[in-house]
Amino acid sequence: MIDFGRVQKELQECSKDSQASGIKVSPKADNLARLVGTIPGPIGTPYEGGTFQIDITLPDAYPFQPPKMQFATKVWHPNISSQSGAICLDILKDQWSPALTLKTALLSIQALLSAPEPDDPQDAVVAQQYLKDYQTFVGTARYWTETFAKTSALGVEEKVQRLVEMGFLESLVRSTLDAVGGDENLALEKLCSA
Amino acid sequence: MDDYFSSEEEEEYCSDRDALDGLENDDPDYDWVPPKGPSTKVITKESLLCAQRGDLRRVMELLSLREHHARTLLIHHRWDVEKLLAVLVERGKACLFANAGVPLTEDQDLSLPRHSTSTVMCDICMEDIPGQITTRMDCSHCYCNDCWTEHFVVKINEGQSKRIKCMAHKCNAICDEAIVRDLVRRRHPDLANKFDRFLLESYIEDNKMVKWCPSTPHCGNAIRIEEDECCEVECSCGLQFCFSCLSEPHSPCSCLMWELWSKKCRDESETVNWITVHTKPCPKCHKPVEKNGGCNLVSCICGQAFCWLCGGATGRDHTWSNIAGHSCGRYKEDQEQKSERAKRDLYRYMHYHNRYKAHLDSFKLENKLRETIQEKVSVSEEKESALRDFTWVTNGLYRLFRSRRVLLYSYPFAFYMFGEELFTDEMTDEQREIKQHLFEDQQQQLEANVERLSKFLEEPFDEYDEKKVMDVRMHVINLSVVTDTLCRKMYECIETDLLGCLALGTHNIAPYKSKGIERAAALNAKADESDKYLPLDFGKAGASELDRPSGSGSLDDSGRPTKRARTEGLVGALIDLNVPAGGY
Ligand SMILES: [Zn+2]
Ligand SMILES: [Zn+2]
Ligand SMILES: [Zn+2]
Ligand SMILES: [Zn+2]
Ligand SMILES: [Zn+2]
Ligand SMILES: [Zn+2]
Ligand SMILES: [Zn+2]
Repeated sequence: MIDFGRVQKELQECSKDSQASGIKVSPKADNLARLVGTIPGPIGTPYEGGTFQIDITLPDAYPFQPPKMQFATKVWHPNISSQSGAICLDILKDQWSPALTLKTALLSIQALLSAPEPDDPQDAVVAQQYLKDYQTFVGTARYWTETFAKTSALGVEEKVQRLVEMGFLESLVRSTLDAVGGDENLALEKLCSA
Repeated sequence: MDDYFSSEEEEEYCSDRDALDGLENDDPDYDWVPPKGPSTKVITKESLLCAQRGDLRRVMELLSLREHHARTLLIHHRWDVEKLLAVLVERGKACLFANAGVPLTEDQDLSLPRHSTSTVMCDICMEDIPGQITTRMDCSHCYCNDCWTEHFVVKINEGQSKRIKCMAHKCNAICDEAIVRDLVRRRHPDLANKFDRFLLESYIEDNKMVKWCPSTPHCGNAIRIEEDECCEVECSCGLQFCFSCLSEPHSPCSCLMWELWSKKCRDESETVNWITVHTKPCPKCHKPVEKNGGCNLVSCICGQAFCWLCGGATGRDHTWSNIAGHSCGRYKEDQEQKSERAKRDLYRYMHYHNRYKAHLDSFKLENKLRETIQEKVSVSEEKESALRDFTWVTNGLYRLFRSRRVLLYSYPFAFYMFGEELFTDEMTDEQREIKQHLFEDQQQQLEANVERLSKFLEEPFDEYDEKKVMDVRMHVINLSVVTDTLCRKMYECIETDLLGCLALGTHNIAPYKSKGIERAAALNAKADESDKYLPLDFGKAGASELDRPSGSGSLDDSGRPTKRARTEGLVGALIDLNVPAGGY
């Protein structure tokens, strides 16, 4: 069984200094096994200014087994799949320790955004580009950040309205937006694939 | 070839146990004692503890370590004490310990109590916990007992019992097995037993010189060898196997040759091959059509005529060299060559397989000879005669089995040795031909003598008069010596002139042993002092299933005799090792 007591405490801890760290974790539904983490793109990187959402699923034996994390926001990075958002990070695999927390894991992911490890790539195409044509890499990463990771200034109602105008049911639009944490692009993707 | 009689040799055969085993299988007093102790040892459930303890003690004494740290070091070095000591000398104690996850300061637990007295904040569950229900590991990391337990449970279930790391991030220390056992047992006694089994079995699983006996159902034993991995062994359950690849003994085939051969025999690809060589599908109805005669214009029962070379539909008129209105050009040659080659390969395989199969059949039949011969011996012994000693019969029979076996496996050996699959670049066609002649000469001599030996052993000597029995006896003894010598010579040829000359391949074979495969001796399991050094609590481990028979004295699929597992010196409650836990 997941140690929900600990998860609750983690969430409290995290929200205490989320202003300073910019790292947020919130439950997706009410059972605490599925959560959404948010990290700001590190300053001085092509990810600066973006807000990245990460889907978190807790295994039954959490914290004695690592949480499953993957990017919900599309991101261009050698260690993150540009297709699925899967993350190649040792602490999410065999280097996990029960003493680590969701917040420390998210901090590690943020650090990974600042310092890619192209020699241990998750996405071979991106890694190749990173090594051979760094300028193009930076350009693509920045473009993806602009396109997928910028929270639009528009309010929720406007997002709803636009999606409804595209022909989706309003109730469905609202629940989908909720599920993806308000990200309009993600919501559209989900609505289209449903 | 006829001056081979020697009484010395004859004596040697008195210890041939295989032939005797077949005859005296039900005799409970029978026990074969080897002249000099075999170097291979059987490790039973009982002796596993003892085998481990020997190595543990050495390391504990040399490095003045506690047992669980010694075990951690040994597991890290795959129970190779020599290698462990080499690392110690070359790279020092600190490096040796750090790599294996053993804390350098052994005395830490003396200065720091295992349990703290005040309240402690556990970093895992994030609760304040009374100190007495927390535990501090040797690395000095301290967490609450509930969290430790949960961590151990997850790791044991993941099959990582042998190296459970501390929970702290980046701490490489391996948890004290006594603490693991103690904490896990409180909540999951079954799992604690499993943990103990994993640790014990590490001696087998992680050890280059020890392997489980591959018997099914499993006899529960493992075999430990002394030096050469390339050998054939016999477990106390009666199963003989190749120690390197765990399949049936196959010398003089190398393990690779045997693997390829078994696969080839299993595959139906050869049959499929036959069909492609001998038939071709009709271009109209697609039924396979066989070619009859040399004419390349064939016709199907559906009435369609077609060209055998390219398979294309044609008219019915043809001359010797072509078919009216049809030409298939270059393709004709390729196709012809391909099918010629396939045909040649197939014939080659069939040549070797037929002989292999014939010897395999003889081997199975001769195994039945054991019984009839025992009857003949009993009848003869009843007779009022000066001839009372019939050991020559069992000796001869045993020699027959030995040589038949060598002969049997010499065919797949030759198939690969002189074929193109493995050693194309190792020799020129000329060299190959010379070597093949040399080898086949020996093979044929051996074959002829084995057949003669077989024939004499089948004679109804129990019905003969004394003079005639003496004659049979003479032949059997002589032929026994001859076949033994020929086997040895054939191995010499293989080891020096054939495999010994290879530049690239490493094909090791188990050496020829005149006396056959040695049965591994029991590793002496004494119950002394073991409890002092191994604080394992086996009280709750299930008593063994040792009495379960492994086969029932009959022949198994491959014609090998199987015997009932011997139950020897069972003391106390034992851990159930019947199912190797290795799969986790
Ligand atoms: Zn705890
Ligand atoms: Zn530690
Ligand atoms: Zn066995
Ligand atoms: Zn083998
Ligand atoms: Zn047809
Ligand atoms: Zn014709
Ligand atoms: Zn043709």
